[in-house]
This record gives sequence, structure tokens and C-alpha cells, in this order.
Amino acid sequence: MTETILQIKNLTKSFSGIKALDDVQLTIKKGEVHALMGENGAGKSTFMKILIGLLNPDSGEIIYDGNIIKDNSVSEISKRGISMIHQEILIIPELTVAQNIFLGREREISGNKNGWLNDKNIAVKATEFLRELGVDIDANIKMKYLSVAQMQMVEIAKAVSNNARVIIMDEPTSAISDKEVSTLFRIIKDLKSKGVAIIYISHKMDEIFEISDTITVLRDGKYIATKNASELDKNSLIAMMVGREINNMFPEPVAEKGKIILSVKSLNKKGKFAGISFEVHAGEILGISGLMGAGRTEIAEAIYGLSPADGGVIFINGQEIKIKSPRDAVSYGIGYVSEDRKRLGFIPQLSVSKNLTLASLSKHCRGIFIDNQKENKAVDQMISDLKIKTSGRNQKVTHLSGGNQQKVVIGKVLATLPKVLILDEPTRGVDVGAKFEIYKLINNLAVQGIAIIMISSELPEILGISDRILVLSKGVQTAILSRSEATQELIMKYSIQ
Amino acid sequence: MKLNFFYSFVFLASVLVGCNQSNKSESETKDGAKKLVIGSTMLSMQNEFVVNVSDEMEAKAKELGVELITVDAERSALKQVEQVESFIAQGVDAIVMNPCEVEASSPAVKLALDAKIPIINVNSETTAKPTSFVGSDDVESARIAMNYIVKKLGGKGNVIMMHGYMGQAAQIKRDKGAKEILKANPGLKLLAEQSGEWDRAKAMSLTENWIQSYGTKINAIFAQNDEMGLGVVKALEAAGLKDKIIVVSIDAIPDALQAVKKGTLDATVYQNAKQQGSKAIENAVKAAKGEAFEKEVLIPFQLVTKENLNEFLK
Amino acid sequence: MENKFTSRFRGIGQYGIFLAFVIICLTLALSTPKFFTVSNLMNIGTQVSINALLAFGVTFVIITGGIDLSLGSMVAVTGVLAASFAHPDTYPIIVPVFIGLVGGLAIGAFNGLVITKSKVPPFIVTLGTMTIGRGLALILSNGRPISNLSDSFNFIGGGNLFGIPFPIIILILAFFICSAILNKTILGRYMYAVGGNEPAARASGIRVNHVKMWVYTICGLLSAVGGILLTSRITTGQPNAGAGFELDAIAAAIIGGTSTSGGTGTMTGTLIGALLIGVISNSLDLLNVTSYYQQVVMGAIIIGAVVLDSMGKDKN
Repeated sequence: MTETILQIKNLTKSFSGIKALDDVQLTIKKGEVHALMGENGAGKSTFMKILIGLLNPDSGEIIYDGNIIKDNSVSEISKRGISMIHQEILIIPELTVAQNIFLGREREISGNKNGWLNDKNIAVKATEFLRELGVDIDANIKMKYLSVAQMQMVEIAKAVSNNARVIIMDEPTSAISDKEVSTLFRIIKDLKSKGVAIIYISHKMDEIFEISDTITVLRDGKYIATKNASELDKNSLIAMMVGREINNMFPEPVAEKGKIILSVKSLNKKGKFAGISFEVHAGEILGISGLMGAGRTEIAEAIYGLSPADGGVIFINGQEIKIKSPRDAVSYGIGYVSEDRKRLGFIPQLSVSKNLTLASLSKHCRGIFIDNQKENKAVDQMISDLKIKTSGRNQKVTHLSGGNQQKVVIGKVLATLPKVLILDEPTRGVDVGAKFEIYKLINNLAVQGIAIIMISSELPEILGISDRILVLSKGVQTAILSRSEATQELIMKYSIQ
Repeated sequence: MKLNFFYSFVFLASVLVGCNQSNKSESETKDGAKKLVIGSTMLSMQNEFVVNVSDEMEAKAKELGVELITVDAERSALKQVEQVESFIAQGVDAIVMNPCEVEASSPAVKLALDAKIPIINVNSETTAKPTSFVGSDDVESARIAMNYIVKKLGGKGNVIMMHGYMGQAAQIKRDKGAKEILKANPGLKLLAEQSGEWDRAKAMSLTENWIQSYGTKINAIFAQNDEMGLGVVKALEAAGLKDKIIVVSIDAIPDALQAVKKGTLDATVYQNAKQQGSKAIENAVKAAKGEAFEKEVLIPFQLVTKENLNEFLK
Repeated sequence: MENKFTSRFRGIGQYGIFLAFVIICLTLALSTPKFFTVSNLMNIGTQVSINALLAFGVTFVIITGGIDLSLGSMVAVTGVLAASFAHPDTYPIIVPVFIGLVGGLAIGAFNGLVITKSKVPPFIVTLGTMTIGRGLALILSNGRPISNLSDSFNFIGGGNLFGIPFPIIILILAFFICSAILNKTILGRYMYAVGGNEPAARASGIRVNHVKMWVYTICGLLSAVGGILLTSRITTGQPNAGAGFELDAIAAAIIGGTSTSGGTGTMTGTLIGALLIGVISNSLDLLNVTSYYQQVVMGAIIIGAVVLDSMGKDKN
């Protein structure tokens, strides 16, 4: 139980002169769940990429099973038994579960040396393997029919089947339901008992304390400390990560409520949601809560015109409006920050600056030409207002940390000067420090008189920030609770009604 | 979406039906007697010379009262073989083929002969011997062109040759003819040779580059077809060198005849499309009727210069 | 994702093409004295102009994540169209030019319309247009070249202005206009956005279809300019002109660093790509290298450019 499997010493890595990792160390023992904590930008991703061979360190040593790793190519490392379950799952949708699990190892599994496939054998082995792991997935169906959580299980199965001895899990619960989380944790415990070490990266404090044995904290690319999970509590861990104490995560709502800005009456969409009616006042924050699949995002997308509703009416300032596309929504002063930042949030090839002005470009133009001076001025203002950490407005947006990318997306939407702002999971994949800043920002926007709708699956967040909370269950609106009456228990009750 | 698909399907179907109808043969009978049917497959109906040959065949067929079905092989020998196969299946009385390639079009000849259908090659040859060949000897055309240059330069000077598509029968033969004359006249030096791919724009660029390389050292340029010859002329005119350099090409297409008239192109070599076309049909009809015919009809080339130009202008 | 091999080459890619271009030019200047002369450079500029125009057009298209295979056919159609109205003593010069441009515009808009309305991939739609266009050119010309064009029309491709060949002047003008569209206008910015991440662009309120319509229409227009230039240069409207031009244009864009997956690319890069192709074929002619080898060299350069580009790309 105490035997060391992986040790990293004095690891340093710079990108164009800036140290992403500075003299970092980590020791992983067999059969432990080791949480790697730190704000976004603390260097966790770079660290893990080096560990699995995607990046080369500038200096430092990786000692695996007593040997210094010299050839750290991806294939060599995975052969040795270090696997990573990525945030974005890497699968081939048109292949079956079994084919995915044994992808690249068909020869050894088929037992054929001559290159002929033996899919039957592969399927049998995969079924056996999944049963052993306690995962209830049919090995013969195509990957594309699985839920995100199931795909993740398959990824884990793939790693384990490859005799992984160290598995890195990067935000494994970011897109799965509570029930699925418990399945995942059961599997993690099972793996632990088999001596597999898990490096676990997550921003969800509760999970960390539930599952991990040891916690290592990084901050600004530097190693801070390694502690037993039992020695820490939430506040002391946050203090280590942020470098200061955050006593009150949620700023008090102070905005004055004005007249009704947005009102929605009996909105419905076949198979998604029905009978949705609510209103949002200027300066008000309306939270929308519900389990996965309750129709939260679908309602937001309907109001924003990404996938318009089948029936019902939407009013802005008392005026009935028709929204058929995002362009219509923007013209009526509705802004939307999607939960799917990568797909709907930003353009990866473009700079911070160009992303920020994308939705409001006509404001920075003379005729059809872009006024670069005006654009740059506006961008610099946004960067400082939103406290976006970037090396400059021309930095590529993909080079920013998740929290800062999110700020760029919010900034882009704010630049259209919306009267109504819909935020869908605005703090997903964002670290504690940046979360706090986003909460403050939301509050400020409310003070400025913007009507805000915030969708979140984190109950403390929604309780902490909303004036009122709309609860959904299976596409139906079950309650609208005021701030004073809402509790976690009450929301859960209405969510499963 | 589904409806759209349906409509487009209906549209496509009707287009296809429409095309088909216009192709339906009127061959059956006009005055009771069965009309002879000749199938012809042409190298490429995008080539002006081929179109001219084809037009003459059409005219001759009309004159002789036989029906002619013409198809375009689009430079594909495979397609040509398939077309001959379907002619055989249709039971035509004779086939005229303007071969795409020497080797690859040969199977078509064998197929026709096996089916006991006379096949006449027009304009170019195949390795397999057809019932009859009507055409001109490309080697001869280059000899005529080169001899003109020899005469003009007095047997001394620097010559450049622009080839067609490398490896095609016409290119190989014209190259052979030109080289024969060059060998016989050691005073002529071949400065450079390069492919202009039968194309006017390519020839123009190539000549521009040659002007950069050799400038006034060039005394004459021989282009293996008129399209290229006209490109050469354009480039020389732009560089102000036309008066100093002799340009000769082959085919005598209308554009080239105009250029000879204007004096920009010094000479071209007339390949008689008219005679090739009409002779091919004549032979096909004779063979189909079982009458006597010539096994090989070689239609002579003629040099076209300003002096004899009027004979060729229509 | 960056790996160690590629990170070593980081930075080269950005300037790689330009560097390669300079090196090749220097080598050529040393190996043949005829290369680096004013008249030969003018010569290269003229020869490059048509391909560069098409390459500018297809750069817009590729940046939005599309492709246009109908360029060469559009050259033929617009050339034949213009030539039909360019006989001496018929119409003023503006008529054939205008009709040619409108023809290109129409075919480009047709491409855009079908692509945006039907959601059929651009590759397939423009493949269809390519064949249709070739057929149209043959129909319009009855399969025969249209010659006997007016002197004023022939000036476009063959004339000089202040000693500079007219095609070069058109090329330079087009370059500045296209660069301005790409870098200075809203439309240009939206092209990058659409090619970079179409759903996100749509979610930002951008009318994606609108942008695509523009892009294919502009591409058609530039092809028409190329078609008129070619027709004027060879003083005939040829129905089979421009065959394979689309591939040269796409090659120029790719050599110049435009990514076929969309979202990146510059006009300067494309211009250098086109110049590189032109310089190489010019110099191989000067050195009297057989056209067989020319093709091998060209292919190798295309692959080399893309390899260099992907190594230099910062994918992290």
C-alpha cells in the first residue's frame, strides 16, 4: 500500500519564456487516489501532458517503478501503464464499445498474427472485461449511442484493460449525473483495491474529499504542498490553492429590482419541455435548477433562438417578439453564454481580441471597415474590466486557462450590451478563484440593471447567487422559489417530482 | 428535405428521359428499304480538328443516305472500347473509330473484327490492323514543316521545338519527322525542346520563358500544333521579336489560317479533315456493302503559306 | 497538442514559406543569370497573375472551411462569354468585361446558394458545378474557340501601363482589395469565425449562410477576372481553357499556409504560394528541365509546404 509507483522531481517547463511549471514534484503510491488541485492556470494540464508524453519537460526527472523514464513518447508511456482519461473523450463513434476498448491491440486480442480481425473474440473479451469492472454496458453497440458517462466508463475500461497502473482522470465528473458519479466512484475504489493509482483532477471540493487519499496543490506553476486528505478541510484547501482565504464565496445580492424585462409564457418544445412561464426583472438573477436532462439548456437555447421553441410567447419590455435565430435574439438584447464553451463559445484560431468583439463588431466599424484603434481600445477595456489573464489582446484564446476563456466568452456577449443575459453553467471547469470573480461579475451586471438567468447544476452556487430559483423536472416547471424559502432539500424535492 | 429530394429526382429523371428521346434512332425505315447504320467514336469533340472531321463524316453520310451515330470518347480509350462494344451490340453495319491511343484502343478493333463488323480507323492508328485506315502520316507533316524552316533559314540557325502531350502518337511522330530533317541538316541546331501540352496559354508562357533564356538567339520555332503555334506568336509579338523569328505549326485550323493571312504565323501544314472524314465514310459504306475498297488511304499534307493561302480559306 | 518533435520546429512554419521562397529565388538567381532580370520578373508576374487571382478567391472559400473546385470551369465559361461580345466593332470594351464578370458572379452565387440551402458539402456541389460549367462553355462556344477579338479587349491581357504589364496591375489591385476584405472588414473577420467554429459563429449572431454566399460569389467574380484575363492573353475564348486551374489555385493557397480545415490563412501567404509556383515553373523552363520533372518538383513542394506548416503550427 505504501510502495511508490511514480515519482516526479524538479520538473520545469517554460512556454516562450514564461514558466508554466517551476520545480514541481509529485509522489504517487500504489493504490492511492491522489488529487491534484490548483486553480486553472496553475499548471495541472501542462503537468499531466508531460506525464503522458505529449510535452517534453525542460528539465526534471520522471521515475516510474524505480526506473528513470528516458523515452517519454506517448506510445512508450502508455505501454508502461500510465493512461489518461481526457476531459474531451477520445473515441471513435462508429466503432462498437468492444472495438474501441481494444483499439490498436486487435492482433493480441484476436490471437491472430496474420492481420485478420476476430471481432467475435474481441466482443467476448470486452463483455467479460466490462462485467469484471462492474460496468453495465453492452459491448456490441456503437459508441455513438452511449451517454457521456458511459463513454467515460469505456475509456476507463480501455485504460484498465491495457494494464494501466496509473490512471489520470481529468474532471471526470464534469458532464455526468450524480448517479453516474457514484458508479464512477465505486469503480475507482475497486481499482484502488487492485493497486492501481489514480491521479484525480477536479474542481468539485465535495468529490475531492469523498474520494481522495492524498492531495497535492499547485499554484502559479509552483508546488505548494502534499497533504493527507484527512488533514484538510474545504477552507484550508481553498486557502492553499488561492493563496488567501475566501470566506464568503457568494457576494450578497444588492441590485435593485426594476421592471419586468423578459417574460416567457407557456413555452414548449416537443420532447424537451412544456408549459414554461416566468419573468425576469431588471437587476434580478433568476436561477434555473434541475437534474441533467430536465430541459434547462434547451429552454435557454429556445429563448436564444439556437433551437427555437414550438409554441409559447416571449416578451421583451412587454412587447411580444419572435426569435428564430441567435441573430434575432441579439437584436432584441438577449445574450447567451453557452455551457458548451468549446463548441459554441469561441473561435479557437482567433485571438482574445477578435473573439471579444465577434458579436459586436459593427460597433467598432466605419462603414464596412473595422476601426482597429477603436476595437483595440474597447478590447483593452474589457480585458481589464473582466480581469482576463492574458499576455496581450493578440494571444490566441486557446492559450488561456478555462476560467479566462470563459471570461472572454462572457465579455463577448456583454459587448453586445444585452438587456437579458442567460448564463448556462458559467463556472463549469473553472477554478475557485475565477469562480469567485465570475460571481462578483454577475452581481455587478445585475446592479447595472441587466436581467440575468443563470443555469447551474451546483446547488450551493444557485442558492448563493439567485434572487429566485426556477426548478425543472423532466421538462416541466415544478416551482419558483424565492431566495428566502429555497434550500438544497427543497430544490431536490422539486427536481425529482 | 424529403420532398426536395423527390422533386430533384423527378427533375433528373425527366432530363434523362428527354435526352434519351432526342437520341432515339430514326433509322428504322424512311422509304421501306433498310438504311445502313454506321457508328463512329471520336477522340474528343472538344478538339476543333476532330469536330471538323466529324462534321465532314456527317455530311458525307447524309449524301450517301446512311445513318451515322457519333459518340465522344472524351480522350478515354477505355470509354472508346466500351462504345465500340455497344455499337457491336446494337448491330451497326460498320464502325468508324478515331482512336484515342495506339495501344489502348486496339482491343476495340479486335472486337469489331471478331464480330465481323468492318472498322475503319480515321486520322490516327492503332497497333491492331483495322479493316481500313484513312488518315495522314504525321511524320510527313513534321518533315514538311521542318523543311520549310530549313529553306527559310538557308540550312543554318537555331531552332526550338514545342512538343504536344508527351507520349501521344501525334507527338511521337511529329517529333520523329522533325528530328529526321534536323539530322539531315547539321547546320540547324536544336536549342531547346519542351512540351506545351497542345495548349495555347501554356505555349505562350513557355515561349515567354524561352525568350528570357535565349532571346534573339532563336531563329525559328516549330510548334507541333497550331494552338501552340498561335501561343508562340502571341508571346513573340509581345516581345517585339516576331519579325526575327520564323514560326511554323501543323493543322491549319481557321485561326491559324487567319494568322498566316496576317503574316504573324509563317506557315502551317494543312491536314485535310474534309477528305479524311468523307473517305472514312465512303470506305465504311463500301465495306458494309461488301464492295471493294482501299486498305489504306493516305491523304497528303500540304504546306500553307501566304502564297497559296487562298486555296484553304473557306 | 504539441509534441517534442514539432516544438523544435515551431516558428519556422510562420515564415517558412517566405523563407523558402527567398532561398529558391536566390538559388535561381545564382544558377541562371537570366532569372533575375526586370523583363523576366515582369514575365513571371504576368504568368502568375491568373493563378493568383483564382487562389485569392479560393483562399476566402478555404478560410470559411469550404472548397471550390469549379474555378477552372468558371474561367472557361466567363472567358467564352466575354469573347462572344468582344469582336471588333461590335460593343464597347466594357460590355464583354461586364458580361464576363456577371457570369462569374452568377455561377459563384449559384454555388453559394446550393451549399447554404441544401447543406450538401461544398466539395460535391462545386464538383457538380465544375462539370456543368465545362458543359456550358462548350455549349456557348459550340465546342470551338472564339477568336477575332478587338484590340481594346486584347489590351487587358497583353497591354502595358507605364511599362508594367496590365495583368500585373490587376494582380496587385486584386491583392490589396482581397487583403483589405480579409483583414479590415466585418465580412473578413466573420470568414475566419465561420471557418474556425461554425456553431460558435452562429451563436454569436453571425449570419453564417450570408457569409458563405459572399465567399462563393467573390470567388466566382475573381474567377471571372481570371477568365477574362486569360481570354484576352491568348486572344481567344477557349471552351477547354482553365482545366485543372482549380488545383493550382488550391495548391497556391495551401502552400501559402491556408489550412484546409478552415479558420486560418492570409492573402500574403497565398500570393507567395502563387509566386512560388510561378517562379519554379519559370525557372525550370529557363533551365530547360523536362515537364515530367517539373511536375515531380511541384508536387514535392506542395507536400513540403504543408509538412513545414503543420510542424510549425502551434497547436497547443
